[in-house]
Amino acid sequence: MNESLINKNGKYKSKKFKYRDFELLWMAGIGVIFLLIFAYLPMGGIILAFKDGDNQLNVLNAIFKTKFVGFTNFMNFIRDQRFVDVLLNTLGLNIIGLVITFPAPILFALLLNELKNKRFKKVVQSVSIFPHFLSWVVFGGIIIAMADMTTGIINPIMYFLGFGSRDNPINVLTAEYFWTLVIVSGLVKGIGWGSVIYLAAMTAIDRVLYEAAEIDGAGRFAKMLHITVPLIMPTITIYILLQISNLLSNSFKQFYMLQNATNLSRSEVLSTYIYKTGIIQRRYSYTAALGFFESVTGFILLIGANSIAKKVSGRGIYSE
Amino acid sequence: MTNTLKMRNNNKPKLFNIINGTLLILFSLITIYPMFYVLIGAFSHGDAYSAGGAWLFPRQFTLSNFIVILSDDMLWYAFRNTIMKTVIGTGLSLIFTSIVAYAMSRKKLKFRKTIRAISLFTMFFSGGLIPYFVLINYMGLYDNFLVYIIPSLYSVYNMIILSSFFAGIPNDLHEAAEIDGASEFYIYRKIYMPLAKPALATIALWSAVGHWNSYFSTMIYSNAGKKMITLQYYLMGVINQANYTIGDNISPGIIEEVTSTTVSYAAIIIATIPILLIYPFLQKYFTFGIQEGASKG
Repeated sequence: MNESLINKNGKYKSKKFKYRDFELLWMAGIGVIFLLIFAYLPMGGIILAFKDGDNQLNVLNAIFKTKFVGFTNFMNFIRDQRFVDVLLNTLGLNIIGLVITFPAPILFALLLNELKNKRFKKVVQSVSIFPHFLSWVVFGGIIIAMADMTTGIINPIMYFLGFGSRDNPINVLTAEYFWTLVIVSGLVKGIGWGSVIYLAAMTAIDRVLYEAAEIDGAGRFAKMLHITVPLIMPTITIYILLQISNLLSNSFKQFYMLQNATNLSRSEVLSTYIYKTGIIQRRYSYTAALGFFESVTGFILLIGANSIAKKVSGRGIYSE
Repeated sequence: MTNTLKMRNNNKPKLFNIINGTLLILFSLITIYPMFYVLIGAFSHGDAYSAGGAWLFPRQFTLSNFIVILSDDMLWYAFRNTIMKTVIGTGLSLIFTSIVAYAMSRKKLKFRKTIRAISLFTMFFSGGLIPYFVLINYMGLYDNFLVYIIPSLYSVYNMIILSSFFAGIPNDLHEAAEIDGASEFYIYRKIYMPLAKPALATIALWSAVGHWNSYFSTMIYSNAGKKMITLQYYLMGVINQANYTIGDNISPGIIEEVTSTTVSYAAIIIATIPILLIYPFLQKYFTFGIQEGASKG
């Protein structure tokens, strides 16, 4: 096998298609075939959104044995007040996320980067990253426990900070507090992990730049503002683009875990709504239409944000 | 003049350091406290805990919560299934993803740009949940253990990370092997894979944590019976259930010491121990992986 390849080496040069090319192609082909089945085939299943497949007992009948109804399913969800509420929750939470949850890890990384004691820095990092690896079932379960009005610790902390009173404990799992709960719990779980990428970008910055700035009399904040931030900007750009393209998606795991009957008006978001209408209520076509709307919007947002970023900073996502 | 300037410069940073350090310590405490909080509850006597105020030490220390949860057969089925899906799923996905990643890292690959575009597109556009649900049903994967393995055999995201790592391996190695007559697959297996150990470890750990923490597939693609139930799904049931039904093989003395709340805390601790055990390894590799991911998008 090996010997024959050596011998052929010279002769094969003239031919366009070598054994090597074939080998590489089948290796890459595994991925292509997988994607054709598990990513592109379902895209064909989008026709379900244009069919009358709601409430079928079997999802296969819904797609193969129903008739086309045009854009009826799309009109149905656009006119559905429930959908409008869900969309507002989804957008509202993601926009708040963009303003608070997105910059928080950058700030955290900047503060962490200022620590001179390496060991202390490592401890803070290890501790703050740990919750990222917990599942939302575990973390959400803990939050539900801490929110308990008699045994939980959230209420005592709130009295301490001046909210509520001992006699009237607040149930933070109700609609009124849900958005705050989601943002805060998301921050506690994700800020450490979110900062890793920025810290990595910061450690790659050449020390010489800081030394030069010091000679010019730059203080700590001047260095941060004029050296660190501009140099981690490419990383920030990429992540903000991804964030924008995800304007319609939330962490299903987080929301589903923290939802209960009393907070649904503020906690139902597109991903959990799709699960409930599609899988539980079997409104297959209605939900397929919703899913299509979500995918298309996300894609348009990404392309839009990407082209703006390319114009502004000359760099987009996946510019090889 | 210069002296006063120096003084100022020295004082300011000190104050900043103190505030910064305090802030970060406080934040670290906030992130770690929730785990500590359930740990206390898990070791507490159920009724004593219900009185409230157990924030730093267990109320009437007991192991009963753990005895109750560990004698639930369903927990062990969930453990078995989750371990199986984590080990098999991670192992196979590493093999398939690395094979594709190797091919994609070779500049000589024909149709490379097309394949890349086909792959990237799937990261940003999908058919949605329902068409995917149709596919799973159509393939007979509903309520079938393989639904945990087959759909996650290959990941574009991991492929990109691995392939950028492979691309960073000096091409001289490849050329030398090629002259010696090694086939591409041989080079992949005997030269590139051993060199990519840190990248592979990163992806393996991420994938394993993902498998361990997921409950969506169980909820959507199965009836969550003994063969299919996973740890997180089981745990969700225990947490949401107002009244956890205790098996009849538990002695009354132990049942007296627990409530469904404290039992659910014990379940949370048990489901988290494996993550805690691999955390040192996760820490060793995550910085590496995320840097690779960032540099190539």
